[in-house]
Amino acid sequence: MSLWHIAWSYLWNRKLTTALTILSVALGVGLIVSVLTLREETQRRFEQEGQAFDLVVGAKGNPLQLVLSTVYFLDVPTGNIRKDILDALRDMEDVEAAYPVAMGDTYRGFRIIGTVPDLMRFQPGGSQPYALAEGRYWERPMEAVIGAQVAEASGLRIGDTFKSTHGFIQVPGADEHEEQYTVVGILRRSGTPNDRAIFCGIESVWDLHAHHDEEHEAGHEHHHPEDEVTAVLVKLASPALRFEYRDRINRNFNAMAAIPIQEIQKLYEQLLGTAKAVLLAIGYLVVVISAMSILIGLYMAILQRRRDLAIMRALGATRGEIFGSVLIEAFWVTLLGIAAGQALGMLVCAALGRYLTQRLGFHLSAVVWSPDLVSALSAVLLMGMLAGILPAWQAYRTDVARDLAEP
Amino acid sequence: MVTLKNVTRRLGPGVMFHCPDFHADAGARVALWGPSGCGKSTLLNLISGLLRPDAGEIIVDGVDIAKLSEAQLDGFRGERFGFIFQTFNLLAPFTALQNVMIGMRFADVVPPREWRDRAEFMLRRVGLEHRLHARPGTLSVGERQRVAIARALVNRPRVIAADEPTGSLDPKSAAAVMDLLLELCEEERVTLLLVTHDRALADRLPSQFSCHDLVKEAES
Repeated sequence: MSLWHIAWSYLWNRKLTTALTILSVALGVGLIVSVLTLREETQRRFEQEGQAFDLVVGAKGNPLQLVLSTVYFLDVPTGNIRKDILDALRDMEDVEAAYPVAMGDTYRGFRIIGTVPDLMRFQPGGSQPYALAEGRYWERPMEAVIGAQVAEASGLRIGDTFKSTHGFIQVPGADEHEEQYTVVGILRRSGTPNDRAIFCGIESVWDLHAHHDEEHEAGHEHHHPEDEVTAVLVKLASPALRFEYRDRINRNFNAMAAIPIQEIQKLYEQLLGTAKAVLLAIGYLVVVISAMSILIGLYMAILQRRRDLAIMRALGATRGEIFGSVLIEAFWVTLLGIAAGQALGMLVCAALGRYLTQRLGFHLSAVVWSPDLVSALSAVLLMGMLAGILPAWQAYRTDVARDLAEP
Repeated sequence: MVTLKNVTRRLGPGVMFHCPDFHADAGARVALWGPSGCGKSTLLNLISGLLRPDAGEIIVDGVDIAKLSEAQLDGFRGERFGFIFQTFNLLAPFTALQNVMIGMRFADVVPPREWRDRAEFMLRRVGLEHRLHARPGTLSVGERQRVAIARALVNRPRVIAADEPTGSLDPKSAAAVMDLLLELCEEERVTLLLVTHDRALADRLPSQFSCHDLVKEAES
């Protein structure tokens, strides 16, 4: 029969009020958990992808657009650059690898990326984002390797054929190429943008567009004659060389170099940073309101059971024990609210994670115990305890004789 | 056992409680009787330390409780006193057994490992062995007062402070509860101070203390 048990019994005795108070805490905590987890996870995954390549070199324009289009397959490329830039990059002393990519077509909205077979052997940080689940890599023109999500969404299997659509945006009556790709391999799910990409030899893209340009006299914005590529993904001998090489390339070539990780961090700071701050502020506001509901709920409960407190005092309970038992009630409510909120946050993250997996190809874990999250939950617990102080003080000041005498 | 000398307490604007002299021996059973508002409950509250006197001495079991600190008084009350109220004052969220155990939880007299056995013993003693896990809301008023008696006696107190203990009971239940209370006080050799406005009930106890002149208009 500890104070913990006594406090719990009083909470249990008013189940509905307690459940509603816990729910209000859980809503605030759930929002905070969701925002922090999603921010941590998306930033981590974006940065992980951004770290894979030290530089992206493409047509002059917006560097963020260049990075999003070539590393994350999210935006329209900035244009094409001459292939001799690729050769020049490969000749630079600290360039360990330079992978050309050529884009221009899609299949059911999934982007087709023409590149070199070497990229399929690239293992950034020991990971294997291009590992095969089945089949083999392309060996001849018009052979394709598809990402796990492409296979899942399209139902394509090894040996199946498909026709690509010209352009990046799916519109009715889009210009479809006559030539067919044959699926020769399916990538293992990596939780990266590769899951929703289709890879093939760069020659396939060039051939298709050379053919396409012959048919359309006016040519096209995304034509790929053999002397052009969309971008070059560059791996340097050391990440420390990124800034130096970016500046050198921007100075000496008719192209633009961008550092993926830097662009992504800028994106987070400028756009998502503000969104995160706003959502977190809303989360904390909900928690403050929850703390107020704990305060009001407990205060009303104390007023209703003044006689019970007086009885306990008559039985020998000290003022400290009465104060402590009420504070423990606040602790229970807050703790259960945090636990329920954590569960709610995980559900939201799991649901949003599924959406992001489909939209971005990023597989997010629903539970991430970041230092920010631990600090936030500690702050919520502290707020709940602070909310318990006023009712506990009210209980502490119990006038035993008066409260026992009241009918 | 219990002695009051010149105890005064201001009850409100122009209203003063004054008890010049009161004494009850150990094991005595005294009825504090008088009409409503005469000050008998105030006297009981002062003796049991629920109220502090403005002046005078209150000696209980050799200790002047007026001189005890708040924390000392809490401990003293828990150890030496058992309370029985007109409205039973059981704690609604707890079972009969738990209500009796709570009496021991705050008093610090019985070791925790003995709480359950002692509480069960007391409930058996008041005839409620079949209602150990019943909550107050499911007990009859007579049963509730029996639980209250068990709780009051569970710490083997020196004094039972009973304020109109039969006031909410029908005559038959009241008689049964009084019989039980007197029997247990005799058995446990505990001093019983019983507040009542009922002269017939007061006459059932060996001693009576009239409270008619305890509350007076304050002298200007």
